[in-house]
Amino acid sequence: MEQRVAKRKPGRSKLKQGGKAAPKDLRTFLAAIERTRDLIQVKDKVDWDEELAGLGRISCERNGPAFLFNAVKDYPGWRVCANPVATWRRYAVALGLPADTSVRDLYEMYAEREQQAIKPVTVKGGPCKEVVIPGDKVDLFDLPVPMVHEGDGGRYLGTWDLVVSKDADSNWVNWGTYRFMVHNERLLTGYPRPNSHLGKMLLDGYVPKGRPMPIAIVIGADMPSHLAATATFILGGNEAELAGGLGQRPVELTRCETSNLLVPASAEIVVEAEVFHDRVAQEGPYGEYPGYRSGEMGNALCARVTAITHRKDPILTLDTTGFMDSSACNTSISGAIAIKRRLQRHGISVGDVYIPPESGVHLAIVSVKKSGADVARQVVEIITARRALISKVIVVDDDVDVFNMAAVIHAFSTKCHPVRGYHPVEYTGRANALTPAYSLEERVARKGASVAFDSTWPADWPKEDIPVRATLDAMYSPQVQKKVLARWKKLGL
Amino acid sequence: MAKEYETFVRDSAQILSGREVALALRDLTPGKKKYRGINVRAVVSRPPKKGEPTLWIRSVVGVKESRPASVHIVEELPEALMATPYTDFFEVLKKAERP
Repeated sequence: MEQRVAKRKPGRSKLKQGGKAAPKDLRTFLAAIERTRDLIQVKDKVDWDEELAGLGRISCERNGPAFLFNAVKDYPGWRVCANPVATWRRYAVALGLPADTSVRDLYEMYAEREQQAIKPVTVKGGPCKEVVIPGDKVDLFDLPVPMVHEGDGGRYLGTWDLVVSKDADSNWVNWGTYRFMVHNERLLTGYPRPNSHLGKMLLDGYVPKGRPMPIAIVIGADMPSHLAATATFILGGNEAELAGGLGQRPVELTRCETSNLLVPASAEIVVEAEVFHDRVAQEGPYGEYPGYRSGEMGNALCARVTAITHRKDPILTLDTTGFMDSSACNTSISGAIAIKRRLQRHGISVGDVYIPPESGVHLAIVSVKKSGADVARQVVEIITARRALISKVIVVDDDVDVFNMAAVIHAFSTKCHPVRGYHPVEYTGRANALTPAYSLEERVARKGASVAFDSTWPADWPKEDIPVRATLDAMYSPQVQKKVLARWKKLGL
Repeated sequence: MAKEYETFVRDSAQILSGREVALALRDLTPGKKKYRGINVRAVVSRPPKKGEPTLWIRSVVGVKESRPASVHIVEELPEALMATPYTDFFEVLKKAERP
């Protein structure tokens, strides 16, 4: 997912007090989350056909642990890790922070590190080259690619992946997280949206030139690299530098076997491929991040694998895509920060922005210092100007903590006028085709709408007429508040 | 075990017309290659015809029809069909049908 954010200046890493560099690769990360009891290793043999993904799915739904499946049916020597960062605890560890770091602190830390680009370094070889399989020897069915959900169009190799591609006419290299499905022994089909960065590179560059587009599907890299690939990020931005900033260490990159693309050297598996400019095959349907299998199917891309390289005893990472999956926390943070920066650029007096991960990136809570219907309307128009992934925006006054959903629901329920309080905008060509609420026709046409729920006080109400909130901090004198809090503490509460 | 396939369609009535159609099938044979995809020209029948592989039909959001069909594969088509990326694959399949 990408949106425009402020340009970052490359700089040196600066560790905030209490923070440290992120785990350097997937295995170090897994050891770290095992120490915090956020990983369970499964020794019993599990089936790649729905069973292991089903365990991962229920874990997402119950805020449970990540799994490392050490014995996968039909695939001795291979391991599968389900949902490396699907909770805030594991997200914190991925950034080298204590597992109990608060969501607000994670937001602040991300915003700070996002501005501290650290350039990658190029190395020769690397762990991902321990086993090299040339194209003519490749059989994708030799990899333990899971059937993620019953009724999906096929087995998905690319779920928690990082796909590297390069612009046909410039040096811009994109990292993105895109789904890829096994079609047969050497062919993959995938659905990076046509207006994704990869989709744009393909359609604007390679297709007009009549050339296949080299890509590398990287699986099981260091977590900051995956977080950078999943992040809402500037068009033309350098995700490898972003990964360095997020992880507070440079990412080591190594060259592919069959193209000049550079990939994280510590990755577990790298699938090198060429996207056809002139051929397609069936892709999807697939249970997606909004929590439904709702996208239109049948308009995707097709790629031929040119080589596979992997570590010994490799681990295939899996996102059991759906409600609260591995991308939920990261798109919550990076999306909210991108929205905040965009609103600031447009002169909105924004306080905080929060995207609840449970919303599947469909709901944003925005607090503003200057309230009123005009502001709410502006907010939703700005947020949906380019690509409209967010369909609901709750605009609250800045005395509401956007991270406190109880306070947000209270403000929305009591302050949003049932008639005057909602402000819809409609659009065609930029709606989210995966939004379950849209009809099939709307999804195909990318036609949709977003709405702002104005939960602020009207700007023209006299101050003395604004209702007073009946809470301790608003309806009691400072002296009584102090006394009550002291008594509360004394009572051991 | 008799061979089984599944296919995803926008409108099952179109493939159940009794005429030859182009389809993308997933092979449901258990084992490492389960869900391998092939493109074919085939005739679909419901109720299923004896001796033909079973075909399960699913909608574009993966909902499986409760009654099985059977499929007679006339010929296999290329593994990928000629069209630019993001072309509607159902339209591409339709073009691969014989007039």
